[in-house]
Amino acid sequence: MARVELKNLRKEWLGATAAVAGVDLAIEDGAFVAVLGPSGCGKTTTLMMLAGIYQPTSGEITFDGARVNDVEARGRNVGIVFQSYALYPNMSVLDNVMFPLRFKTIERTEAERRAREIAALVRVDGLLDRRPSQLSGGQQQRVALARALVKRPHLLLLDEPLSNLDAGLRLTMRTEIRRIQRELGVTTILVTHDQIEATTMADRVVVMNGGRVEQEGAADDLYERPDTLFVASFIGSPPINLFEGQADAGVAKFHEATITLSEPVRGPVVLGIRPESLQAAERGTPARVTAAEPMGREVLYTADSAFGVIRFLEAGAEPRHREGDNVHLDFSPASALLFDKASGRRMDARIAV
Amino acid sequence: MPDFARAQLRRQRINFGLFLGPALVLLFLFFVAPIVIDLGLAFTDMGRTLRVSQFTLENFERMFTRDTRLLGALGITFIFVVTTLGVFNVTFALLLALVTTAVPPRLGAFFRAVWLLPRMSPSVVYALLWLWVVDPNERGLLNQIVVHVFGLPPVDLRNNHPLLVIILANGFIGASLGMLIFTSAIRSIPEHLFHAARVDGAGSLAIVRHVTLPALRWPISYMTIHQTLSLLVSFEYILLITAGGPFYDTTVFSLYAYRRAFESGDYAYGAALSLILVVIGVVAALAMWRLMDMQRLLQPARIEVH
Amino acid sequence: MAAVDSIAGGAVEARADWQALARRAWRTRFTGQSALLAFLVVVSVPILLPYFWMVVIAFTARTGGVASDVLWTACAVIVPAVLIYSVVHMSVGSRRLRLAIGITLVAIAGTLLLALVGGKLHLDNFRFLTRANFVEELRTKATSGRQFPSVWTAFSNSLALALSQTVIILTVASLAGYYISRFAFRGRNVFLQGLLVLHAFPAMTLIIPIFLMLYWIGLLDTIIGVMLVLAAIELPFYVFVMKGFFDGVPWDIEMSAMTDGATRRQAFRLVVLPQVRVGLIAVAVFAFIRAWEEYIFVRTFLIENTNWVMSLYLFWVADDVMGVDYGIVAAVAVFYVLPSLLLYVFCQKYLTQMTIGGIKG
Repeated sequence: MARVELKNLRKEWLGATAAVAGVDLAIEDGAFVAVLGPSGCGKTTTLMMLAGIYQPTSGEITFDGARVNDVEARGRNVGIVFQSYALYPNMSVLDNVMFPLRFKTIERTEAERRAREIAALVRVDGLLDRRPSQLSGGQQQRVALARALVKRPHLLLLDEPLSNLDAGLRLTMRTEIRRIQRELGVTTILVTHDQIEATTMADRVVVMNGGRVEQEGAADDLYERPDTLFVASFIGSPPINLFEGQADAGVAKFHEATITLSEPVRGPVVLGIRPESLQAAERGTPARVTAAEPMGREVLYTADSAFGVIRFLEAGAEPRHREGDNVHLDFSPASALLFDKASGRRMDARIAV
Repeated sequence: MPDFARAQLRRQRINFGLFLGPALVLLFLFFVAPIVIDLGLAFTDMGRTLRVSQFTLENFERMFTRDTRLLGALGITFIFVVTTLGVFNVTFALLLALVTTAVPPRLGAFFRAVWLLPRMSPSVVYALLWLWVVDPNERGLLNQIVVHVFGLPPVDLRNNHPLLVIILANGFIGASLGMLIFTSAIRSIPEHLFHAARVDGAGSLAIVRHVTLPALRWPISYMTIHQTLSLLVSFEYILLITAGGPFYDTTVFSLYAYRRAFESGDYAYGAALSLILVVIGVVAALAMWRLMDMQRLLQPARIEVH
Repeated sequence: MAAVDSIAGGAVEARADWQALARRAWRTRFTGQSALLAFLVVVSVPILLPYFWMVVIAFTARTGGVASDVLWTACAVIVPAVLIYSVVHMSVGSRRLRLAIGITLVAIAGTLLLALVGGKLHLDNFRFLTRANFVEELRTKATSGRQFPSVWTAFSNSLALALSQTVIILTVASLAGYYISRFAFRGRNVFLQGLLVLHAFPAMTLIIPIFLMLYWIGLLDTIIGVMLVLAAIELPFYVFVMKGFFDGVPWDIEMSAMTDGATRRQAFRLVVLPQVRVGLIAVAVFAFIRAWEEYIFVRTFLIENTNWVMSLYLFWVADDVMGVDYGIVAAVAVFYVLPSLLLYVFCQKYLTQMTIGGIKG
């Protein structure tokens, strides 16, 4: 277990823009943190630097306050589960799991005992004689997890662990990984582009974009109080409705709608309203439904409104409105978010009540 | 048959002849026919006159009972093939592949290019360079170092250790092909495997043992068979550097057949000796074919419309 | 839970001294890389040195001498320069600074070389290019009654051989490769298997029967004969290579050409062939170089000295003259190697495109 800190971490590949452009992060001992972001945002590169596979161009990585930049991968005692699992194809499952213990001064019998122990924890103890090619995706992943944990790592790193699994397996493994992490209390960093994965598995979520950290905090913090436009649109499914407009002296005009703001804002602004915050009611903004998509538990409607094209949700499997229907959309002013268009940052100003 | 179908059939036949015809003719005439000729020739008595007067088993009788030089040639062939293969073509090639992939890529590519020089140069030039290097008087490159740096008398490798010279000469050539194949195989190992091993705590030697070498098992076996065959039948460099001498001291089996035919004029006997090599060649070719992944090469054709 | 405790507790004991680990890691990495590089340099010297020597001799040697002092002097200048630069390369980070240092080093080495050995350079060894009877001039009598043709005869013979062989291979291999790639004809598998066996089969074993066959046909001692033989022997390989290239061209291009009204042959010529341009160039260059460097077949099949190609010419010149004048032999060798060397250097990226079933040739 270790407390991990990243200080102004940068990684530049020769001649290209920085993959990681100054990341500051502090992760407590025993915490489960998810690094969330689109592909190319630098999250996997950061992970590789933590493991010691890539060398940072500048900045510092510390474990428990001690600088580990120059310590090789094999000296850092880090466990990593790759997206491809990277199991050694010519060894059995047991040998795969035992592999890291070869490089520690442990007796073979003791190493085998530990391997079997961790295999039982991860629930692959029935597969120990098989080769990786004989395992399913989910089984391979558990073996990779066992191999990462058998060396009692300071840090566990997971690179998109669930993306190669089918939906049902994903659900199972989410709970499994959570369970194992809680039982062992090992500091864990998970990297993913799937916000559901991030918000359901980790205690804290770090959102990255373009090599930088956009925001970090608990999942509901990010949901209700996103610091930037990017975070607001990345977190939340279906994605938030965004409307661009112009504000002058506290009055903002979006497409055909005009609203008064709580502060005398001036300049280009973006208004954000989540689909789940909208309700079709007696009174509210008029809108005409253009599409209805049943999504199982709820129906997603697309409608034309004074603000522009707007989407809203309604619970229930059957659509209650059809194309062409006129509805009134109501929402609580507090749930609407306002962003400064130039900087992308959320403003404190709200819709005036 | 309706006109349309007949026209199509005719077009089919023309296309077949046009596209495949030349290849078939060329191959049959200059590749397949010689094999048949060799088969027949081995049973004749053709000598310097290049005329056949009778069919006989005399050649084989001579081969198995009366030819003492042949035994010597076989022995030399054995030493030559085993040593060159074991030391250079496989082992050293592996070493080169491993080392050039362990240093920064540009440097590795540079050294691989250097080791490709022997194979890429014309055989005459390469042989000439070897002759200069092992020149027995003081001008030879090797002797310049031996005499001026170590203060020893000049060595005459050509006459005293000719086998060593041809083993080295062929070895450098053989190592480069293996180096290429092994490097390509190493490069195709997914990088994540190396990362995982490094994080698991493996040092460089352990990585070679557990990740690199297992992936090279197939290329190594393929190379071994392929190079054994190649060393058995090729004698170009030997001919150029030592001409099989002094006397017959470096004459391997394939060169022996050549010399018997073109130096002594025993064409039929040479053909008979070559026949043995032809048989070995066919068997080995079939074996390698079995070993190789034929699926991709025998992929079904795209279309059937003519 | 026992398992959890032992796993969780174990991490505490592993809290290591990070500083020491970092230091040790740096040390092993440095010594490891240096050792590997030293090894590579040591084994590469025996290869580089003779080639360098040959070039040096060609430009400095005189009749009866070997000019090894020039070689060692040149080495004494070049080797330290290279070493200095490699140390600089590894320690200096800025690319611009490295380039500047590199250029100054080259300049220094160049002037040193010029000063030390410049006076010894001469082109006398290349006189074989203009004087056809240089051999008789060296030996008081021509040895073994052999008359030497002009080097340009040999050169043009080589050129003729290489070019015509390349043309034949290009045509035949493209046609056959295309047909195999596109058509499912009866016996296709047999044909492919046969090609594979022929490809793996060592053609050198057939040199005796081929000799006789050429004699019977009357093509012995002709460039045409050699050309046909070489083309046939290399054909299986090139057919596979061209097939590979054709396989990479999506067939819907031809289909749309044919629905546009073209016949198969026209589609092949106008639409498909341009797509495999890279493959054609690669095959052409490879085949040319191969024929340029051929020795054993030409030695066996060509007898009259007016039919000599460059490889034979070089061999006999060396055989006759080497005891006396290294310089000329080296010069001939340099002249011989130049065309294929230039081709290699300039067509590098085409040559690396050649593959057969995944194994690059």
